[in-house]
Amino acid sequence: MRELQAQNQRSRLKLEAKAAKAKLALSEFIQLRRVTFFSNYALALFIILTLNFALPRLMPGDPFQAIYGEEALLVITPELEAEIIQRFSLDKSMTEQFAAYIFALLRGDLGYSYYYSEGVLDVILDFLPWTLLLTGSALIISTLIGLFLGITSGYRRGKALDKGLLALLMFLNGFPDFFVGILLLIVFGVTLGIVPLSGAITPYSGFGGINLVKDILHHLITPMTSLVLVWISTTYLLARNTMVTILGEGFIVTARAKGCREREIEYRHAGRSSLLPVVTSTGLHIPHLITGALFIEIVFSYPGVGLLLYNSLLTRDYPMIQGILLMVTVSVLIVNLMVDLLYQKLDPRVNNAR
Amino acid sequence: MHVNVWGEVIGSNVGKFGLFLIGLMVTLAVFAPVFTPYSPSEKTGGKAFAPPSAEHLLGTNDARQDIWTRLIYGARTSLAVGFGVSLLSTFISVLIGGTSAIFGGFYDRFWMRFVDALLAIPSLVVIILVATYLRPNLLLMIVLLSALTWPGGARVIRAQTLSIKERMHVSAAQTFGAGWSHILFRHIVPDLGPILVAMMIQDARRAVFMEAGLSFLGVSDPSMISWGKMMQFARVFTYMEIWKWWLVPTGMALSLTLIGLSFTGFAIETALDPRLRRGQGGHGTGHDIGHDIGHVDGHGGD
Repeated sequence: MRELQAQNQRSRLKLEAKAAKAKLALSEFIQLRRVTFFSNYALALFIILTLNFALPRLMPGDPFQAIYGEEALLVITPELEAEIIQRFSLDKSMTEQFAAYIFALLRGDLGYSYYYSEGVLDVILDFLPWTLLLTGSALIISTLIGLFLGITSGYRRGKALDKGLLALLMFLNGFPDFFVGILLLIVFGVTLGIVPLSGAITPYSGFGGINLVKDILHHLITPMTSLVLVWISTTYLLARNTMVTILGEGFIVTARAKGCREREIEYRHAGRSSLLPVVTSTGLHIPHLITGALFIEIVFSYPGVGLLLYNSLLTRDYPMIQGILLMVTVSVLIVNLMVDLLYQKLDPRVNNAR
Repeated sequence: MHVNVWGEVIGSNVGKFGLFLIGLMVTLAVFAPVFTPYSPSEKTGGKAFAPPSAEHLLGTNDARQDIWTRLIYGARTSLAVGFGVSLLSTFISVLIGGTSAIFGGFYDRFWMRFVDALLAIPSLVVIILVATYLRPNLLLMIVLLSALTWPGGARVIRAQTLSIKERMHVSAAQTFGAGWSHILFRHIVPDLGPILVAMMIQDARRAVFMEAGLSFLGVSDPSMISWGKMMQFARVFTYMEIWKWWLVPTGMALSLTLIGLSFTGFAIETALDPRLRRGQGGHGTGHDIGHDIGHVDGHGGD
């Protein structure tokens, strides 16, 4: 009897040890996952930094000239040149230059723009809010309209309305955004003259309060509409497809059987369930908020990051171009990282999927 | 695959329309000299900014060049970039994605880590920066765009290869001592068929858009005749009537090419997606399609 108990205890101890081992392995495993997960982002950042560092230095000629462009040389005094060469260690070896470059970035020093006579980071931060206003409002509106049209269309699959909407939106999706923008600008701005031709606010108007808001909206409406027209189809197709799938499911049949009205089935039963994938896909589009309006901003001279980039291309303001690239990359990486982390919290399966 | 994908693509209205548009553009591009008496860079005898007439179907631009001629020669650039990128980028995708799936282990982990990193980078801005320094001509443009397009495809190919390599004919080939390149190109690629074509069409669509966009920004080789560049020049003269026969036809040509490609791609993916086979087929849409179009729509911001 006693022997049996002892044996039992021994086997239990063995089992517990095994379980503890497994637990340890699991936590190690999760830690390893997390490390590789972050290393993705570290690697992406490293690729961009290297590209930013290497491109101007691979160009023929003086790296100083390549980094700052020929035009900048005309306005730079010898003292300033000496200071920049010293700051970026341009007279040292490549390794030291790379170290100096990284340390400058860590100090938040993205370089100096000769066109704007200001630090690169400060200029970018001036332009960024306009971009976020434009793309943010376009994303919200296109998602709402796309969702509504998708639900309407999916519920009437195969009917004339569905076919018409599908053809129209697929057609619209083919148009490049800058072409849509130019057309809207010509029709509503040049020919009809009901919207402003450029900018985000009327300069020197001295508007305040409600008038300022009106003025901003008046400038926002055409560029935003162009983006909405091109973006709508993404949400639309997704919502429509989800509707089609959901309509075949049991709870819709039940709703029909218990005599729910068509409108209720369309919106409260099926429509509500098609929300989730749409929200997910809209979330995935958040990283595009900074670069998504690049061409539209150029067409409408809307003072966002895209226009800043374009102007820097025209004036060959190389530090600015590199600064924007770095800024955009870092923000996209941060947003991606946050979305990924959020997903792991929301859906534990994602953790084990990789 | 037990489905006749090509038959279904040609049978659907969307597929027919898409293929028709692509065919139209290819015809214009290939036989460009047949459709016009001028050469694209030639300064014609007429006035600058001439309106459409019998000699100049779409009038002339500020440099007295025939706009119609430049339009159909521009199709050559767009289609060459689209075709080139879809070939090169798909080739890299198959090579990296396929070998990763076949070899597995450290090699697989290394490449997939690299692919994930590349996918996290906003490619539009990167390519603008690189193009600013390099001013790419046609060939370099194809290489640059491919370098940023292949990672997405590599993930798809890897996933597909992982399942295909378990099939009987692949293990039979392995038993007979076939090397990885034989297995990849003789056994796996033929099985990938329609998926590869769908991928190539998507890559081509994206490349055509990106080339036009880069030229529109003015960061490509100045001697290239390109729709994006024509729109960029035409945009300056919107206060004159000329936009009606300079800007609009060019933009429409670009849009119709993109629409042709996306409709064809849509038809192929519809034929491939088993979830869309029930009910009234032919005009369904799939989750993946919606997502993929959205992917393209980020305009490279992804």
